[in-house]
Amino acid sequence: MLNRRLKYLQIAFNRSVSEAEEVIAMLPVSEKVIIEAGTPFVKQHGQNGIRALKDCWSRRLQKPGYIVADLKCMDRGAREVVAVASVGANAATCLGLAPIDTINEFIVGCENAGIDSMIDMMNIEFPFEILQKLKKLPAVVVLHRGVDENERNKEKQISYNQIRQIKRTYGSVLISVAGGETQRDVVRTFFNDSDIAVVWRSFCEASEHTAKLAQDFLKLVK
Amino acid sequence: MQTPKNKKINSLVLIMYFLIIAFAVNPIFGTVCVSIIIVLFINYPKFFIDYILNRTQATNKWRSDSIKNNQPILEEIPVIKVSTPLQASSVLFGQAVTRLEKRKKYLHVALNSTLDEAGEIISQLPPSDRILIEVGTPLIKIYGTEAVSRIRLMAPDGAYIVADNKCADLAACEVEMMASAGANAAICLGVAPIETIDSFVEECQKFNIDSMIDMMNVENALSVLKKLKKLPNVVMLHRGVDETTRSKEKQIPYYQIKQIKGNYDILVAVAGGDTIREIQQAIFNDADIVVVWKSFYQASAETAQLAESFLKEIK
Repeated sequence: MLNRRLKYLQIAFNRSVSEAEEVIAMLPVSEKVIIEAGTPFVKQHGQNGIRALKDCWSRRLQKPGYIVADLKCMDRGAREVVAVASVGANAATCLGLAPIDTINEFIVGCENAGIDSMIDMMNIEFPFEILQKLKKLPAVVVLHRGVDENERNKEKQISYNQIRQIKRTYGSVLISVAGGETQRDVVRTFFNDSDIAVVWRSFCEASEHTAKLAQDFLKLVK
Repeated sequence: MQTPKNKKINSLVLIMYFLIIAFAVNPIFGTVCVSIIIVLFINYPKFFIDYILNRTQATNKWRSDSIKNNQPILEEIPVIKVSTPLQASSVLFGQAVTRLEKRKKYLHVALNSTLDEAGEIISQLPPSDRILIEVGTPLIKIYGTEAVSRIRLMAPDGAYIVADNKCADLAACEVEMMASAGANAAICLGVAPIETIDSFVEECQKFNIDSMIDMMNVENALSVLKKLKKLPNVVMLHRGVDETTRSKEKQIPYYQIKQIKGNYDILVAVAGGDTIREIQQAIFNDADIVVVWKSFYQASAETAQLAESFLKEIK
């Protein structure tokens, strides 16, 4: 489970297992780093991929590491959660655009499985509208700009002011921001009071800079 | 045999053009050129005579050949035309249904439990080119793309495999994965950002697979379609499983089928119903594809019979 007082850096992997393992081997040993199995990664490698990431990160940390399975669940909330929790994921994501019944089912499923629930607010203008309708609050709300959106349409921006609004209204939820890539984005994310910053593109390929990059990012994560 | 002949004709034409241009530029220059050619003709008569004779012989030969073979020239063209649009997968799997046909009605069987169960169900399905086999989202998320490729192997040759990847972002990446695993169609969410759907449809065309848009939790499917740059092949009206079990009032908007078909020339699929009555309702409302899954969640003695009776309903 995540600690409310800490800030986290979440690194998403979207390609092959071997590449992810290479990069993980270079990451600094820190509890503040969260490893995410991206949606394409999950769809390509399934449970085996998540298990591999868990093993690899736990070996590096010398204790169980925190793994997020980015399921982007849209239907059958509970079933997918059970599938990933059984291979060691500590959190799973559900789309905020999914039917409300699915999100409710998903949050209950996560509680039953003992993992954190994350609701991905991609393509949602007002996350409040969704949160209001829920029976139970999720552990984390992810404010997200899709990769395809980012590439094709530069004007759309994450509205950072929503972070404080959500935190003020629902004190107990953590906020994660996805879609930024540069150090500047990460600084802006934490400055606006978010708890988790998600990055992926800079960590796509293992290189000699990876370790330094992660350390630089971690410095920002106070 | 044809190419050198064409070359010769081309060179003749070129010389003619050259002469005309020469005359146009300067009549004196033109007469000089003509005299050069006449001098060449006198000096090397053999070359020119051979050249012209060869050409006539070649054309004659070709004609007599075609008459001997009794092959009317007109009929040769359609043969070539049919063979060109063959797709890679259809070459591999015999005469396959690689793309959906309009005017046909399909039964779309979604497999969601486990791969073993899926194998058993597939083995019981009656052979029909009107059955589409779907690799459900849970299977893809549990087994990865292996689920698609293994069901491709289990299914009879030429079966139409749909990968229900429910793409929400990174469309290019997911389409490539599913297409290379052997799927004939991939699915994108209608609630995804428009940019994602656009790139999804484009990528599907690139990989020569059908694109399906799942309109789950979308109030008005038409408003999404209007924003797209290119139309998908199939629009799927869908009521989610969780929705169906939790709130019974929510209904599949059958009236939208006619709305969509009236505005766009695309196939419409209906998902979320499972009884014979719901299937009749969907077909009556002009749906092209009916998706069922609950009856095919576990293999049983009646699976084959059930599929037969469903197929009978879908004419």
